[in-house]
Amino acid sequence: MRQVLLLALVLIALPAQAEDLVSGVSQDLIQITSNYTGSDIVVFGAVEGQNQNQGANHGPKDVVVVVRGPDTDITVRRRDRVAGIWINHDAANLSGMPSYYFLASTRPLSAIAPSTVLARYDIGLGSLQPNTVHAHHDYEPFRQAALRHLGQDGLYTEAPGGVEFLSDTLFRAHVPVPAGVMRGQYNVEVYLLRNGAVISAQSTPLFIDQTGLERRLYNFAHNQALGYGLATVLMAVIMGWISSLLFRRPI
Amino acid sequence: MEIYLPIADMSVQWIVILGMGLAVGFLSGLFGVGGGFLLTPLLVFYGIPSGVAVATTLSHITASSISGAIAQWKKRAIDFKMAGVMMLGGLAGTGVGVWLFAIMRRAGQMDLVVSLTYVPMLGIIGGIMLDESLKTLRAQARGNAPARIYPVNHVWIHGLPFKARFRQSRLYISVIPPLVIGFVVGAMSAVMGVGGGFILVPAMIYLLRMPTNVVIGTSLVQIIGVAVITTLLQATSNYAVDIVLAAILVVGAVIGAQFGVRAGARLRGEQLRLLLALLVLAVAARLLWGLIVPPSDFYSVAGL
Repeated sequence: MRQVLLLALVLIALPAQAEDLVSGVSQDLIQITSNYTGSDIVVFGAVEGQNQNQGANHGPKDVVVVVRGPDTDITVRRRDRVAGIWINHDAANLSGMPSYYFLASTRPLSAIAPSTVLARYDIGLGSLQPNTVHAHHDYEPFRQAALRHLGQDGLYTEAPGGVEFLSDTLFRAHVPVPAGVMRGQYNVEVYLLRNGAVISAQSTPLFIDQTGLERRLYNFAHNQALGYGLATVLMAVIMGWISSLLFRRPI
Repeated sequence: MEIYLPIADMSVQWIVILGMGLAVGFLSGLFGVGGGFLLTPLLVFYGIPSGVAVATTLSHITASSISGAIAQWKKRAIDFKMAGVMMLGGLAGTGVGVWLFAIMRRAGQMDLVVSLTYVPMLGIIGGIMLDESLKTLRAQARGNAPARIYPVNHVWIHGLPFKARFRQSRLYISVIPPLVIGFVVGAMSAVMGVGGGFILVPAMIYLLRMPTNVVIGTSLVQIIGVAVITTLLQATSNYAVDIVLAAILVVGAVIGAQFGVRAGARLRGEQLRLLLALLVLAVAARLLWGLIVPPSDFYSVAGL
């Protein structure tokens, strides 16, 4: 919500600027089926109305593409040795973290803008903060662990240099969508920065939905749990019974 | 060839899961054990979440126990009244077990519960089997008949109230011991994902002193009953049963069990029992290893 407001602010505040941003997504709906092993979408765009004579615009031009998945609660647990064995001893619940976060930029973020600017727009994994935290003490190591684990799963990624300029104005970024992503509404945010300041931004929604048998089974298990349980039991009983018919032999 | 498990929320090589179902089904046919105590840790080693492994293994147990129960039923070797009484206890035990399961899963301690309960259980079972098979092998080498264990007379059990007549078992005993045995086995099924045959059979022979010819059939009926009830409760209250995983395991179970039964008729029992004992001890050692060796990453992430 915070980002949406910020984006709205940016969009309202910036029309006077000479440069404007136009961007699009190669696909606005991704259907995840049972044999989905991940795919790529392409975010592309152009920087329009470039005015070379304006003095303020002479710094290098940077584009940052951020794809954010729906927010979720992440529980991070830490193992400690208790009475000689390693058990989950401490936990932190991080609410309102994105389930997916991909960032591509023309250059490393630290070279594009100061961290205060990045934090204001939630740009970069370093700026990701949970809305609410349930933890007994400092949650920072737990947040770091979450970033590390989701990074390993390909859900949290930063790709400096992932945005390439095809011409002076045209840019493109490949966004990998791995198999483990949560379904829901994603936001593709494109930022144009110059001299460490955001001068234009655009947001496009992207929907990821799960289809196929697996989704139906998941819904079945949660909406009609008793029927689902009965179906599982019935399957086991019938298979056991059929096998005793098929493999009948004198005992 | 990967297949996605909707409840476990992960992709697995279905051929590996089928292989596990076949292998454990084979062992259960060979030794007449349910095999849940091996299948649950195997699934956990593969990476299936402990809760899903515990709840789904019971379908494997149901399927592999059905054909045995049908065979026993044809021989009229089932005491349905005894099975019914034990199942009443089992129903209560399962209810408590599923409730405990939910608490421990919410606390993120399901892995710990599986490891902590399985290490002593597998250690004891494996140890007893190893000891017994070694003794038998040694006795055979000397040319003696193996020593037999004789049931002890538990006088206190016969002093309990609420006596009932169990015609098929030719017993007139209190209903409290079978209720308690059923309760314990039911709770174990829900928390550990085992059928509990390895507890039921000795308890029925040595504690209840049931005639051996009805013990197998009656325990199978009780195991199926508890496995079915637990599956339903786990599905409705914890959403932990994965039907795709269950289907693969069940196919492996029924095929493996049939070959196990055939192989068991031909192979020498003691050597096989020795091998099973070593396998059980190896699984226990692997679980213990996970408990005492510092993890490579102290943090784990859940909720996605």
